[in-house]
Amino acid sequence: MTMASEVHLKIDGIAVTVPTGTLLVEAAKQAQKHIPVYCYHEKLGPAGLCRVCLVEVEGMPKLQIGCNTVATEGMVVHTQNAKVDDGRRAILEFLLLNHPLDCPICDKGGECDLQDYVMAYGQDSSRVIDGKESKPKAVDLGPTIVLDEERCIVCQRCVRFDELITHERSLVVKDRGAHDIIATATDQPYVSQFSGNVTELCPVGALTSKTYRFLSRKWDNHRAVGSCAQCSVGCGINVDVRQGAITRTMSIPEDVTSDGWLCDRGRYVISFGDDQRRLRTPLYRHREQLVQVTWDDAIGLWAQALQASASPQRVAALGGGRLMNAEILQLQALFRSFGTPHLDWRVGRSQQAGAGRATASLAELDRAQAIIVVGVPPSQSAPVLDLAIRKAVFRHKAQLISVGPFGAGSSVPQQRAARIDEVAGLLPDGTERIVFVWDGIDPQLGREIANLRTQWSTHGRSAGVLVATTLSNAWGAEALGMHPSFGPGYQPLASSGLDTAGIFAAGRAGELDVLSFHGANPVLTWHDASIVREALARIPFVVATDLFLTQTSELATLVLPVASAFERNGTMTNLFGQARPIEAGLPVPDGALSDSEVLVALAQALKIALPDAASLTSLEERALEAARIAPLDCGAEQLAGRRLAPDRPGLQLALAANVFAGGGTTAHDTRIEALRPLPTATLEPATAQRLGFVAGTLVDLHAGAASVKNLTLRLDASLAPDTIALVADLPQAPANLLFGSEPLRLEATRVLEEVAA
Amino acid sequence: MSAIKPVLTKGIGELNLRDLEVYRSEGGYVQFERALKELTPAAVLDMTTRSGLRGRGGAGFPTGKKWSFLPNDGRPRYMVCNCDEAEPGTFKDHMLLEETPHQVLEGILLGAYGIGSHHAFIYIRGEFRRGYEIFRAALDQARAAGYVGSNLFGTGYDLELTIHRGAGAYICGEETALLNSLEGKRGEPRLKPPFPALQGLYQMPTVVNNVETLASLPHILRNGPEWFAQVGPERSPGYKIVSISGHVKRPGNYEVALGTSMRTLIDECAGGMRDGRKFMAVQPGGASSACLFEEHLDLSYDFDTIAKAGSMIGSGAMVVFDDTTDFVKAAHAVVRFFAHESCGQCTPCREGGNWISRTLTRILDGRGVPSDIEVLKSAGHQMTGLNLCALGDSVEPFLASVLHRFEDQFRAYVTAPQAAVA
Ligand SMILES: Cc1cc2nc3c(=O)[nH]c(=O)nc-3n(C[C@H](O)[C@H](O)[C@H](O)COP(=O)(O)O)c2cc1C
Ligand code: SF4
Ligand code: SF4
Ligand code: SF4
Ligand code: FES
Repeated sequence: MTMASEVHLKIDGIAVTVPTGTLLVEAAKQAQKHIPVYCYHEKLGPAGLCRVCLVEVEGMPKLQIGCNTVATEGMVVHTQNAKVDDGRRAILEFLLLNHPLDCPICDKGGECDLQDYVMAYGQDSSRVIDGKESKPKAVDLGPTIVLDEERCIVCQRCVRFDELITHERSLVVKDRGAHDIIATATDQPYVSQFSGNVTELCPVGALTSKTYRFLSRKWDNHRAVGSCAQCSVGCGINVDVRQGAITRTMSIPEDVTSDGWLCDRGRYVISFGDDQRRLRTPLYRHREQLVQVTWDDAIGLWAQALQASASPQRVAALGGGRLMNAEILQLQALFRSFGTPHLDWRVGRSQQAGAGRATASLAELDRAQAIIVVGVPPSQSAPVLDLAIRKAVFRHKAQLISVGPFGAGSSVPQQRAARIDEVAGLLPDGTERIVFVWDGIDPQLGREIANLRTQWSTHGRSAGVLVATTLSNAWGAEALGMHPSFGPGYQPLASSGLDTAGIFAAGRAGELDVLSFHGANPVLTWHDASIVREALARIPFVVATDLFLTQTSELATLVLPVASAFERNGTMTNLFGQARPIEAGLPVPDGALSDSEVLVALAQALKIALPDAASLTSLEERALEAARIAPLDCGAEQLAGRRLAPDRPGLQLALAANVFAGGGTTAHDTRIEALRPLPTATLEPATAQRLGFVAGTLVDLHAGAASVKNLTLRLDASLAPDTIALVADLPQAPANLLFGSEPLRLEATRVLEEVAA
Repeated sequence: MSAIKPVLTKGIGELNLRDLEVYRSEGGYVQFERALKELTPAAVLDMTTRSGLRGRGGAGFPTGKKWSFLPNDGRPRYMVCNCDEAEPGTFKDHMLLEETPHQVLEGILLGAYGIGSHHAFIYIRGEFRRGYEIFRAALDQARAAGYVGSNLFGTGYDLELTIHRGAGAYICGEETALLNSLEGKRGEPRLKPPFPALQGLYQMPTVVNNVETLASLPHILRNGPEWFAQVGPERSPGYKIVSISGHVKRPGNYEVALGTSMRTLIDECAGGMRDGRKFMAVQPGGASSACLFEEHLDLSYDFDTIAKAGSMIGSGAMVVFDDTTDFVKAAHAVVRFFAHESCGQCTPCREGGNWISRTLTRILDGRGVPSDIEVLKSAGHQMTGLNLCALGDSVEPFLASVLHRFEDQFRAYVTAPQAAVA
């Protein structure tokens, strides 16, 4: 017997037709009827706990819960009548029995489902004589979240998010009955990359973000709708602003890219914009000192330096991966018009081998039979992508394989492979749909992925590639022409310019007069800090556009304060190759300009005509379209043979990623202090034992004359043996000082007392 | 004692039925061997259905019908024996476990075979340490004798049994909370649908049956389903152990044919009321059941008759109250129990139970007010029928029945508090 694909029913007298299997809560939406819910959530499914969603189904003696009752043919449902109203009123009365009268001081006030439903369906007087049960009001659940136990209505949305979406299972319900409370399973702090989502899921004010507590009320916020610019996913985001400052960011539930979630980086790195250290005026190096200059002087000095250069061949520009699509087009147009071919966006560690050539859609990831994570786990570079991977693994039974020294993510069952050529052996026959998620760091691995793809395509296997990075617009930067070999849309150029490595080499050799960085910090992020420093020391005129004095901009000749992604409109292109809208929640602060304004001013000074707004828009569309169908491997031959690091004997250095590392926005956001990674060195337990180190030891790591000091030793069984992992891009412990082939030496300074005791 | 018909309890107190040989000499394991060698699982299911056996764990659901819900989809199936027995007033299952462990075991094995399961479980209440040890010893004997394990009696049929001990929560007797607990999860009931028959233990088709239900199977097979079906009322047939407690002379377990009158149970089995005391009320089915009174005593003790009278026989636990009873205190004890044992998942049970319990505590403390009576009536009523599992619906019946009958006792507390407390 085949099941009909649709059923017909009546809800409050309105005939509706819904797909077979539809729950009444969802079916009611079709009839424009609202069934109140607490525990039910579209993405978490029914739980049947709160019982507020009561409806009457004709023919059933008891009220039914709309969240777990499936619509059937001919059903007659009432979402509002005397019986339903009585049931709902009863539930709301129960919920209020011990609920504190906190509304006037509760962060959820104005957007609280308890407040709203009591107003809509509840009664206005209380029958309670006994005092309310008092419980702890500000339980510190972890670095980000505070729990008010009195306000909790035990809907378990937070617990189920932690179980069904992140699969981390650290939140639990403890005790029972009226003593039920939310806690962590281990009584350890609630630490998750995605913790902030529980504050949005919580229907009441029980879970609040430390960054938002008592900061604003819903009605005092005004809201800009756009996309997060903190990594390559570009999650849809609501930016709430009050009195010129961002109070919070919130997810957009219906956003497909993020599935309605945000990671804690996107949610909590929001206060850097008004940090005291924010640059508010151009700075020019005069007698070794950076001194304030006017914008006119600054642009004039830069134009002068460019015009004074003997040849455009002695000029280079790096960066763009954090700019808007239109700004990238302006940037490459300006320098190409000026005549310089040396443009590259790839200023992260090494020659990132072509983010823009990545081809896979979110849908393909979702449907993949196998997902192969190569390099650093995406949970630390593009966190919400990792939720999509977890979903594919848990809901759609995708096989997860991680290649390299790291596990793909602790909460997901996975297979491990040391090298890419081991992957094929792990795939069962019949695996046809595969997606690689690559960190884009080691060009050699990029080459191997490309080879495997070619090989597989003749066997009926299709493999997409996603390059997950913390750069918000890497895809756009490459596809729109910040590349030494390609113009916008991967248009091949007659002759290639120097790539980043070539540019630094030329700088060290004294072959460059002017180098500009556009939102880039290679002194911290390039795989070898010494090369960058040496280059900067030899190049007479170095320009940096940035929000702060970073490890790189502090060495520049000219520092130009620019606007953040929260302060300008435009589009960025995410790792799926989709243009995502960015909307300014705030104006550009006094003293700063947007990158676009900077480029326009420089073009004027150089008498270069930049494309106007309309032609930028059409150019952007055409270039992105062309980039989406460009072959993945174009230009890959350039990369063949390049190695990220020379062979080194003994212990190998692995660079781990952490979303809160970096020398820019995260380092200048005082409200995320607790989230920033501490300097650690990680060893696999057996390796640590062999080397004679215990967890908690304070160590220094040396390579030749260079060292990184005061690292706390951690053990992690998911790390490959004979490897030491340092968090990359940490200003207080820059791992890129240790680049090279000299053997690594680990030296204990002392054992931390509390661990040793 | 004419009412008493020992079937399940036969030999208890006379023979050492814990010993495999003794149990065997009484015909033990013959039915299991016969079933495996001569009967198909479908035949065992058919006999169970025809016997009319209804579940002895509380809900009285027809056992054969429950088994027949399992889908034929090739997935493994599990038989789970519910020995969590924690309903106040019920004390028959652990007696069976301790006194005739092999009868329980044979029942589980037959039940498992009847549903085509190769792995059975028994969930034993944590406090039943003695019962657990006795049952374990019996299991070891049975395994050594070839009744549990692989290729039983050379038929090729494999059947394993796992013992799981609870950790002290009444709610873990509810079948889906039990399954969660068995899986190592928090013991809270699951949202239904899906029902255990489709997604039970480890998401596989599962039947949960009470100890007494399963222990009845060897007898049904031995004597035939008709033998069982012709005892007692047509739709509520068979033998049943009734745990009688309270203000009677001889509290204890009595096995009777269903359909025996409550008066007979109290007067003949349990020896009547304490000397000089007058019968006031009886809970026919443990703490969850509403009280019945003098006018009900001649009713037939069976599932349907007692349900029709507004109560239930549940797992067969009669709690008898005489005229010394303070029904406010009794109601407080019952409500406090359920409030304490609520898992807290769902709103009405978590909040309503606690509210009523606190109100009764305050009334007993002498701080009641007249409006409390109204709250007791309506709060109990409004939390019923809205819960995720039956525990939440268990708060009201006793309270409402005694409040209705003995409202004056409650009023006395709230109008002249000091006097009443004294
Ligand atoms: C709160 C609660 C507690 C229960 N405790 C028990 C129990 O201790 N033992 C039992 O057999 N059934 C208990 N039940 C009933 C079970 O859910 C289930 O109906 C029964 O085990 C099925 O077995 P049967 O069909 O053989 O009666 C309980 C039900 C509820 C709602
Ligand atoms: S803390 Fe919030 S989300 Fe979690 S159970 Fe309580 S009310 Fe629900
Ligand atoms: S995953 Fe990336 S885009 Fe999404 S919220 Fe986090 S940082 Fe922002
Ligand atoms: S009715 Fe009570 S015991 Fe049952 S699920 Fe709800 S809270 Fe838990
Ligand atoms: S929304 Fe249906 S029970 Fe909570």
